[in-house]
Amino acid sequence: MSRKEEARWADRLIAGDPSGFRDFVEAYKRKVYGLAYEMTRNHADAEDISQVSFMKVHRSIGTIQPGRGLNTWLYQIVYHTSLDHIRKKSFYPREALPSIASEALFNEPPDPAAGPERAAEAACLRRRIDEALAKVSERERAVFILRHYHDLKLKEIAQALGVSLGAAKSYLFRSLRKLQKELADTETCLGTGDRP
Amino acid sequence: MKRCHYWRNRIPEAIYGDLDIKTREKLDRHLAVCERCSDVYSGMAVTVRKMDARPAPDRPPQFWESYWDRLEWRMAHEIGESEGARAGRKGHPAGGPLSRHRAFSVPRWAHGAAAAMVFLTLGIFIGRNLLRPPAEPPLLTRVMPSEPAPGGQPVLETGPAASPLAIRASRYLKRSRVLLLAVVNSDPRAEDVFSLNLPLQKKTSEELVKEAMVLKKEFRSSDRRLERLISDLETILLQIANLKSDAGPSAVEIIKAGVESRDILFKIDLNVVRRSAGKSIVGQSPGPWGENRNQANVKAAAKA
Repeated sequence: MSRKEEARWADRLIAGDPSGFRDFVEAYKRKVYGLAYEMTRNHADAEDISQVSFMKVHRSIGTIQPGRGLNTWLYQIVYHTSLDHIRKKSFYPREALPSIASEALFNEPPDPAAGPERAAEAACLRRRIDEALAKVSERERAVFILRHYHDLKLKEIAQALGVSLGAAKSYLFRSLRKLQKELADTETCLGTGDRP
Repeated sequence: MKRCHYWRNRIPEAIYGDLDIKTREKLDRHLAVCERCSDVYSGMAVTVRKMDARPAPDRPPQFWESYWDRLEWRMAHEIGESEGARAGRKGHPAGGPLSRHRAFSVPRWAHGAAAAMVFLTLGIFIGRNLLRPPAEPPLLTRVMPSEPAPGGQPVLETGPAASPLAIRASRYLKRSRVLLLAVVNSDPRAEDVFSLNLPLQKKTSEELVKEAMVLKKEFRSSDRRLERLISDLETILLQIANLKSDAGPSAVEIIKAGVESRDILFKIDLNVVRRSAGKSIVGQSPGPWGENRNQANVKAAAKA
């Protein structure tokens, strides 16, 4: 979403457009939900966090400045709401982590032309990535997810997380090193692979 | 090595295409000469490509279709809850820990304050009813009179705290009463006036007049009736103290008339009765000696 589009959203919300907030939710719901899910690894929590985040936005419409980009602000709300949620739960529900292979977590259907072996390899890799992501810290994970899946610039990520640009770079480097280490032996998923 | 550290930190930016052209060229030149940094770069690039194999988490279309309805319902529910219109509404599917804590509209400090009030009330109740010390028995003080009572019996003073002033006043009245009885009961026609042992009684009267002055000062209007009695007594005692050694029966008769006109003996007995009644109100019955004393006093007053 370009800067201009973000500014248009901000103007619509400030103007009190009756359908403005609904359109805003429709436009951002997948992004908000996606970050909340990556932070909590739980669909019920992700929906709860996304709803609470949108309610916070609704309550704070009066504080939005005209022409201001909403992306960073929205991610900031989601990130902090997720952290609050995790702390309130007081434990990380690793046991509740859904198995990627056993649940239809992704909309992307397996390529029918790829064949069952390729589908099994892809499922194995996804599970390994998911496990690897669970092993990095919350802040490192947030930086990586926002850069890799949400396509935010490092400067925006730094603003959203409330850290310096240098720290954001450092978190991204560390998260990639850890993921590299965790995913070093994904060759086992190839060929016969460890099918789930 | 310093250059390696600098460039390694920039590798993620290079992989995601965030470096400007000049910086990218410099990094490429460094990677061309540094095998270790080159390995880090290639390893990270492979990892980023692997991560692409995992799409962003998503839900089925029907989940997204009803997303706004659920959000709208929850917002309406929470707004209604904050306005106190929670009747008939129960939990909703998206209710998580973030919404659960809003179930109570009463703030927590109110619970704490209510608990403190309950404990305070309970403490006062226990302290007043259960932990009250047992009623102390009244103190018994045996006061030995400076002069023995007419019956030779000791005076039993009862009461929670007999003040020294009251004891002194009581002694003063007893001494005065004995002196006045001796004067009043003397018969100048049948007996010799000097059988009264006038010098001794004059001396006693002088002492009592001095004591009366001190007592009056110390009472400071706390007991007006007793103060008036002492003043009356003082007048009579002054007359006795001022009797001339050759005073005739007429002088004694004048003193007798003064005692009778002022009802001094009656007032002394009345004071004794009043004190006894005060003690019995406190919870102490006058007792056999007190009763005897009262009866004796009343009889003496009647005689007088």
